[in-house]
Amino acid sequence: MFAEQLINGITLGSIYAVVALGYTLVFGVLDIINMAHGEIFMFGAFVGMLIVTKVHSSLGIAFAGAIASTAAMGYLLERFALRPLRGKSGGSPLAPLISTIGVSIILENVAHKLFGAGNHLFETPFAEIRFDVGPVTVYLVQVVILAISILLMAGLSLWLRKTRAGKALRATAENLETAALMGVATNRIITATVVIASAMGGVAGVLVGMAFNYINNQMGLAMGLKGLAIIIFGGMGSVGGAMAGGLILGLSETLVVAYGSSGYRDAIAFVAIIVVLLIKPQGLFGQALPGTER
Amino acid sequence: MPFDWLNPYHLQVASFILINVILGVSIYVTLATGQLSLGNAGFMSIGAYTSAILTTGHGVPMVAGIVSGSLLAGVSGILVGIPALRLSGVYLAIATLGFGEVVRVVFINWESLTGGAVGIAAIPQMGREILAALRDAGFSPESLGLQNNQFISLAVFVILSVTTLAVILFFLRLANSRVGRAYGAIRMDEAAAEATGIDTTYYKVLAFSQGALLSGLAGALYAHATSYVSPADFTYHRAVEILVFAVFGGSEHLLGPVFGAMFLTVIPEVLRFVNDYRHIIYGTLLVLMMVFRPQGVIDPPLLDRLSGREPAEGH
Repeated sequence: MFAEQLINGITLGSIYAVVALGYTLVFGVLDIINMAHGEIFMFGAFVGMLIVTKVHSSLGIAFAGAIASTAAMGYLLERFALRPLRGKSGGSPLAPLISTIGVSIILENVAHKLFGAGNHLFETPFAEIRFDVGPVTVYLVQVVILAISILLMAGLSLWLRKTRAGKALRATAENLETAALMGVATNRIITATVVIASAMGGVAGVLVGMAFNYINNQMGLAMGLKGLAIIIFGGMGSVGGAMAGGLILGLSETLVVAYGSSGYRDAIAFVAIIVVLLIKPQGLFGQALPGTER
Repeated sequence: MPFDWLNPYHLQVASFILINVILGVSIYVTLATGQLSLGNAGFMSIGAYTSAILTTGHGVPMVAGIVSGSLLAGVSGILVGIPALRLSGVYLAIATLGFGEVVRVVFINWESLTGGAVGIAAIPQMGREILAALRDAGFSPESLGLQNNQFISLAVFVILSVTTLAVILFFLRLANSRVGRAYGAIRMDEAAAEATGIDTTYYKVLAFSQGALLSGLAGALYAHATSYVSPADFTYHRAVEILVFAVFGGSEHLLGPVFGAMFLTVIPEVLRFVNDYRHIIYGTLLVLMMVFRPQGVIDPPLLDRLSGREPAEGH
């Protein structure tokens, strides 16, 4: 059923888009690729799973718990792995990348110690509810995922464009020093950015748990690498690019699995970034970047 | 037996140290031009699989297999390097990370050639092959007072030591050659290097393919030391492990990654309880090093002090 595959693809793509937004926010402001984002996302999924299956609370509380814990992790990440590197003279531009890789390894292995290596079931109360729209079956879970993702993306766009804090964030992204001279508390903005990005990762974690019904400690790596692929594909630091890239990747993966070979599904993202980087290094929607202009 | 102290297990650990040292050098060579490649696990797997497939399936002699594996990895390094070096910094890191993942997915799915996720077993093992050849020539390890398994591990260790030493000496000499100076100039300031007439693209691709070739060599040696390879040996975690060697040891001098690879391979073996937490410690090390000593444990001023020389001006 092509229409059903399309719906599956859009659901998956909207989750990818939320993950990619977390990367793109941090990159836009700090010019840093936060390699720990995938693992923070994975912790969000685990917190949500524990709240739903062990405490038997509602999905809303699971979202709240995931957001709170991943926001706290984002704060700690910024405070201990990113801020000490800032303003160090002669620091390599690769230093923050390596530092966040370090955090990602720590988190993945802490999750391994806490939760083990196997899959954990993520039960949602309405997993089996579905409706038939003509010949097409739509699951309620898919509708909820799509609605939450759209709300989140719309909210973020509005916040970035209309509020004072959003404007300060965009100013900081444009030029950190100038923004500081204009009276923007850049350190606070940076912390807020990492915290918001991480919280979005937490939401995405719960969404993935709802969509796939199982989670494990490896999912951060898999999803993180795809999120990276999407922001390169869509253009680094571009919010619209992250959304479009997420949808394109979700759709193409679903269609390749449905009509092609499922084994190569995980390679699509990387083939796509390698091709995009070679043809249009700034990404489909990105501005030309100083590091890639050669 | 006079050589009872010669423990095959210790020799095996020593062999893994040597393979990791080659991997450390491989990431150093690309870093020497200021390029961070996370694709070395991918190149390593190309070397390992090429040699494994040729020797197990097609009866190619082991030396020819190892050479072809390294060369094929080096050639893929050129093919990936030419387009990828249009990128710099984090873009290059992610593109090469993507390359490594694509290679791994291909090896998992190309089952007729690679055995899929199970991998390739019963690859000829260096030590055993040498023992068999020597037995045919009428030699027995007992005449040296060695047991068979001692002799096998010792042979692997000796081959790897010679190879690793040759690699280190080659790249130490390279550092003071025209090529090494060009690398250093590109690392310091690419635009300035280009302005002084250095063909930056040529040297960057050269460094990239040298790193790829070394990774391939390490992979091929790994395949013939363990006699088993699978895609699980060449994941993202391997790429990060190689990176940690250079970051911890230091990436401004060749001896940095060599030290890093040795230290980080020995510690988990000496302190067994550390092994459980090895990856957590790696992660913590990466963060702490970036915060407190981004240049790594070993840097040129430290080497100058150790060798009693006056620190060079300008450091």
